[in-house]
Amino acid sequence: MTETMGDHVVAIAQDLFSAMVDGEPGHLAEGSGHPSPLSEPVRAWVDIRGERPLRTLVATGRDTADRITRALLDLEPREDVATADVRDALGEIANVIGGNVKGLLPEHPALSLPVVVFGGSAPDGVPLWTRSLQWHDEALVVSMWDVPVNQEEYL
Amino acid sequence: MSVSTQTFDYVADLVRTTSAIQLGPGKEYLVESRLAPLARARGLVGPTAVDTYVREVRRGLDRGELTRVVEALTTNETSWFRDNAPFAALRSQVLPAVRGRHPGPLRIWSAACSTGQEPYSIAMTLLDAGEPHVSVLATDLSTPVLAQARAGEYSQLEMNRGMPAPVLVRHFTRAGAGWAVKEEVRRLVTFTQHNLLHPPPTGPFDVVFLRNVLIYFDAATKRDILTRVRRAMRPGAFLILGAAESMVGIDDAWERVAVTGGSVYRAPGGTP
Amino acid sequence: MRALVIDDSRAMRRIVSRQLEGLGFTVDEAGDGAQALELLEAGAGHHLACVDWNMPVMDGLAFVKAVRARPEWRDVTLMMVTTESEHDQIVRALAAGAHEYLIKPFTPDALRGKLELLGLVPAGEIA
Repeated sequence: MTETMGDHVVAIAQDLFSAMVDGEPGHLAEGSGHPSPLSEPVRAWVDIRGERPLRTLVATGRDTADRITRALLDLEPREDVATADVRDALGEIANVIGGNVKGLLPEHPALSLPVVVFGGSAPDGVPLWTRSLQWHDEALVVSMWDVPVNQEEYL
Repeated sequence: MSVSTQTFDYVADLVRTTSAIQLGPGKEYLVESRLAPLARARGLVGPTAVDTYVREVRRGLDRGELTRVVEALTTNETSWFRDNAPFAALRSQVLPAVRGRHPGPLRIWSAACSTGQEPYSIAMTLLDAGEPHVSVLATDLSTPVLAQARAGEYSQLEMNRGMPAPVLVRHFTRAGAGWAVKEEVRRLVTFTQHNLLHPPPTGPFDVVFLRNVLIYFDAATKRDILTRVRRAMRPGAFLILGAAESMVGIDDAWERVAVTGGSVYRAPGGTP
Repeated sequence: MRALVIDDSRAMRRIVSRQLEGLGFTVDEAGDGAQALELLEAGAGHHLACVDWNMPVMDGLAFVKAVRARPEWRDVTLMMVTTESEHDQIVRALAAGAHEYLIKPFTPDALRGKLELLGLVPAGEIA
């Protein structure tokens, strides 16, 4: 999948954050250079079940994930951010981004349910493209991968 | 660059009591961006322009100015079929009155067209009303905004504002992550740069949309603009202003047309 | 006025419900089309259903068709709220009987704007 799809995805992510997370534009920007390793990573993805299965992956650190969750779900300042909330919120972020990516493809493939994984290591292999974003100066990385053969169960 | 707490609280209060619309916390940037043009019209620029402007407005208790503040905050700048009533009126009252009056296409002028939603909405309304013999001239002061309008492409977020889904699928196609106006609509609209303070484009027009732009001018300038616009219109042609705008106290040459939720006038001289 | 919010995502149900409650609706939630039909059958009288497309058990399109097949539910306004944004998908949803279509992501005033278009909320734009 081409680099221009990465550009579209940045626009989609920015629309999503401005509309539903921040309530105003301007807080999700493209960072520069390669993403540094995330501490306590949270990874959320959806798979597009087309002829060539594709995975749209959203990755960020746990602290950032908590903050995104708080904003998306409009939690009270005193409410704790439960792991289940983070799973829901990041899963929905991946779903909206991945769903819009699907709209860029010529066919109408199905979308998998989101999967959210806490901790662990980055996927093997090389992504088709990566975009490092900054949300209020915190790292958020969106990338696209061929679905690993040994993870077809998620499809 | 954002407004002070006092400014925001005052404006939010004013808007809530006059329009029941809530400006919640986090909307400071909106107050800043919507009131900056009003401040500029008073000669106020710079980072504290809006604070100064609001202070002056509060002190002056100028009813007209207070209305302008509320309007600037409660009207959606770029929306399809904005306020709806004018487009319903275009279809049900204006079109029957102007159709077939003269050979040649119906000529419509969208005189503050911004990013193009208004002129395209006009074209779509007329196409859907079965009238394709139409020519829309869309003008704006700002050239970058015209370039965007000419391109006719809009983001997903922009498409969610005021666009009924059936109209969307009829007149738009997907374009990358956004949507593009179909050629059959685009070919009816021409975009040109124009300053309302200068002589009008060549008419004569059957309908003019002059919506939510007069609010930025003082009464004398409004009168001048309306006079220039009228000269470019056929006798009995229709002028459509913004929903909360009126001619009262500014120019009595026009005949008010009864339209619920709309502000519609006719130029003098036409047959009723 | 009573609304039904149907989405398999708890986050999205929460977001939409909150916004509808802010507009004065009493809201019931369902995680799929089948649960939603049960809630409609329970007869509290819903004016609006906001329906996601991709859900397990019964998806949004099937739900829309099921509702439109029942004359007693002809006054329930059906709005898709989904990431499905291909032109053909919207055509399919409207043809199946959905009245409106809101693409994710959406702002609160976009949701409100759609409800104004549908006459469920008085006109009066949020800034």
